[in-house]
Amino acid sequence: MNTKELLKGNIAIAKAALNCGCTCYFGYPITPQTEIGEYLSLEMQKNKLAYVCAESEIAAINMALGAASTGAKVMTSSSSCAVSLMQETISYACSDELPIVIVNVMRAGPGQGYIFPSQGDYNQATVGGGNGDYHTIVLSPTNVQECIDLTYKAFYLAQKYRNPVILLADGLLGQMAEPAELTDNPYPQIDNSNWRLDGANSRPSREIHSLEINQNKLNQHIINIYKKYEAIEKDECDFEEYLCEDAQIIFTAFGSLARHVKSVCNYYRSKGIKVGLFRPKTLYPFPYKKLNELSKKTPIFIDVEMNMGQMLKDIRLAILSNARISFIGKPVGNWLKEEEIINATDNIIKEHYASI
Amino acid sequence: MQVYSAPKTIKENSDFTFCPGCDHGLAIKIVAQIIDELNLKENTIAVASSGCSVFLYNFLDVDCIESPHGRACAVATGVKRAHKANGDNKFVFTYQGDGDFASIGLSESMHSALRGENITAICINNTNYGMTGGQLGPTTIMGQITTTSQNGRNKEYHGFPIKTAEQIALCEGTSFSARVALYDIKNIINAKNTIKKAFEYQIENLGFSFVEILSSCPTNWKLSPKESHEKIKNELSKTFPLGIFKDIKND
Amino acid sequence: MSYIKLNKNKCKSCYLCIDVCPKGLIKKSNEIGKTGEFIVEFDDKENQCLGCSQCAIMCPEIAITEVHKE
Repeated sequence: MNTKELLKGNIAIAKAALNCGCTCYFGYPITPQTEIGEYLSLEMQKNKLAYVCAESEIAAINMALGAASTGAKVMTSSSSCAVSLMQETISYACSDELPIVIVNVMRAGPGQGYIFPSQGDYNQATVGGGNGDYHTIVLSPTNVQECIDLTYKAFYLAQKYRNPVILLADGLLGQMAEPAELTDNPYPQIDNSNWRLDGANSRPSREIHSLEINQNKLNQHIINIYKKYEAIEKDECDFEEYLCEDAQIIFTAFGSLARHVKSVCNYYRSKGIKVGLFRPKTLYPFPYKKLNELSKKTPIFIDVEMNMGQMLKDIRLAILSNARISFIGKPVGNWLKEEEIINATDNIIKEHYASI
Repeated sequence: MQVYSAPKTIKENSDFTFCPGCDHGLAIKIVAQIIDELNLKENTIAVASSGCSVFLYNFLDVDCIESPHGRACAVATGVKRAHKANGDNKFVFTYQGDGDFASIGLSESMHSALRGENITAICINNTNYGMTGGQLGPTTIMGQITTTSQNGRNKEYHGFPIKTAEQIALCEGTSFSARVALYDIKNIINAKNTIKKAFEYQIENLGFSFVEILSSCPTNWKLSPKESHEKIKNELSKTFPLGIFKDIKND
Repeated sequence: MSYIKLNKNKCKSCYLCIDVCPKGLIKKSNEIGKTGEFIVEFDDKENQCLGCSQCAIMCPEIAITEVHKE
């Protein structure tokens, strides 16, 4: 029987990975995600699974690439500036169509920044730092329970679509502990016997590569990958709506910061002001359609982020000119407190929307 | 009686796309012959790299994955360990150029050797970056003219070349490290026996096995294939002596 | 009578086989191959081929596909 236990976000991710059959982990230490590798080092070695203390994040992601080609469930984890190091191979993995789960427990940037939490890698994760036309699926947990749920989902989507999936957590979520239940993995196994590399035994040999010297073939390959992305965008958008139904103002926020914004909604509701929260759980595919629908009946949107407004451009693309949008944010450090968000919101209302 | 036949592990109707007289063809032919002899085809995953060596998967009839530039040993580590976690002992080898193995990928290569990763790495050393048109690489010998060392390699500007097989031999996890050449029949046969030994060491789970192959690059050296082989014999093998630098069974 | 089989379509005219044949039985032909150069031919009118396989071992293109020794 499953029961709730007090779990740190990083440990929850590690436990969920093991629980859904991850057999390969490759990583290099960086705060604030190091506990993932520490926890797995003991557990995976105990069970004779593949665990390598890689010499760099570049090596780690490439080991993950190799392991993924065998059809195994593979994970690597890192943080911000070190995820930058992995971008080349993430681009390869998208072209090779290899499933890798990449956990980014975000810290502050740019550059080395520091270990303060931040949400500054929204662009890196959703737009990508690698070359060429590709997308990675990006999942954004808001609490430790979702660290578990979305880790399961990350492995499932990676295998289902043969594409890297980024679990975009943050330093706050990675380091904090709260009650969560290590549920069973709800997703089915995906058959990969038609593409994995396990030796050309009683079948023709297989090759996995991104190099293609025939331009027509390369064009067609990318077009095929984009058909897959179309399916992902159609079927896999995931989000949470909180009190949006009758809202005059909708906040948008992602990750653990959305929890503060939820409290802000409750505050305004207690004052009789109809305020809601829209939280994308998938940052790619971004729920443009749902947000666009909401923008047709809600006139005011306020985007709240722990960065300088990276998701803001996607919100704008979703709501177009249907509604007005403002931004509250700061780049790094202690999460915006409820009072700070309320003060900023009051100012926005006073300035632009005196009628409310 | 038929005394020679083309190796079976070469894909049908796949002509090598290397320049005339390039030793890449010889090296891949030898690897295919050994895979035939050791009956490895159905159990092998090869890792190709960037540069001229990337086309391995077009020719070799085994499962093959291409690696980002320099990372072949890391990719091979992942392939080997993932199968091992699944209870399978697959035969995994990389096929890399000297730029791939010893320049951009030196870290991945050397750490795989230090870990004693049970894979085999084959490094084609032709003393320049061949595919991009013959620039100075980590193995370009002193005085050698390339497009980025037009007055010849000198220590003031370019420093010194790396002796890869000797360096890999220093790593404790290395089971076997050797340098061979392909400039005449005797050396080709020796190269084949040496690579076969490196493959067998992996099969015996002895750790990282490595063979550096001194190879010609007639196009970029601006020499005929015959002259290129003479250059390897008379010049390159002075800087890069042939031989076995580590053999865990004999040391 | 020993002989070799040569796949003319694979020959890239590197001529390495010419140098290793101990009997000098491989030479440039009058036929132009895919590199624009004359490809090689096996010319053994006097049945001198030893079946030693050195040409096949040296060929980087696997253009010499078979050697038969009698």
